[in-house]
Amino acid sequence: MQTSSAGIDFLSRSLRTTGIVLLFFLPFGIYYLGFYPSLAVFSGGVWGIVNLIFLSALVRSVIRVGGIEKTALIRAALIKFPLLYLSGYALLRVDVFNPIYLLIGFSGSLAVIGLKAAGRAILGLDEQSNDNRKAVEAGRC
Amino acid sequence: MDYQSMLALALPIGVALAAIGSGYGLGHAVGSAMEAIGRQPEAAGKIQTAMIIGAALIEALTIYALVVFFILQGKIGG
Repeated sequence: MQTSSAGIDFLSRSLRTTGIVLLFFLPFGIYYLGFYPSLAVFSGGVWGIVNLIFLSALVRSVIRVGGIEKTALIRAALIKFPLLYLSGYALLRVDVFNPIYLLIGFSGSLAVIGLKAAGRAILGLDEQSNDNRKAVEAGRC
Repeated sequence: MDYQSMLALALPIGVALAAIGSGYGLGHAVGSAMEAIGRQPEAAGKIQTAMIIGAALIEALTIYALVVFFILQGKIGG
């Protein structure tokens, strides 16, 4: 069985899933929770996704085999720290947004990552992909 | 010391402790990830992913502390 790897594409798939979950949540949230609470959850979710994208860019530019990639590091750090934290602060200071709802949205991406990782662990997908890789390597030799 | 003054003292201390803890944890995680990549460069992709998820969780904890600060800040009277 062909399985997707738990490498760097796991993160991009998780972020895409989070985006879809947020988009699905928005109309139901507006109907059941109200406009501003669901907008707060949505904004928190978008903030979390963008934060994770820049965090992954930062980590990928620092922790790599060929040494630190300076331009990518500076670009990611300059955007992530001042701009993203400032926007987070602005979101928290907006009176119509309850910080709890923002936090729920922000935790959405982490919840999706946790659930996806738990699913992989329960289904044993990582062991299967390791077995597949070993079989391919054995076939080459 | 009344409740308001205690809250006004405890809130920044709490956020500072959260920041110190997450900074220490993140430093430790990055150090370990570097060491792991040095030992096994072919596993760099998996280590990076684990590192990113770990860093995101650590950062989220600090942001939770910050949000708690904002929530409780309103309870400090002027």
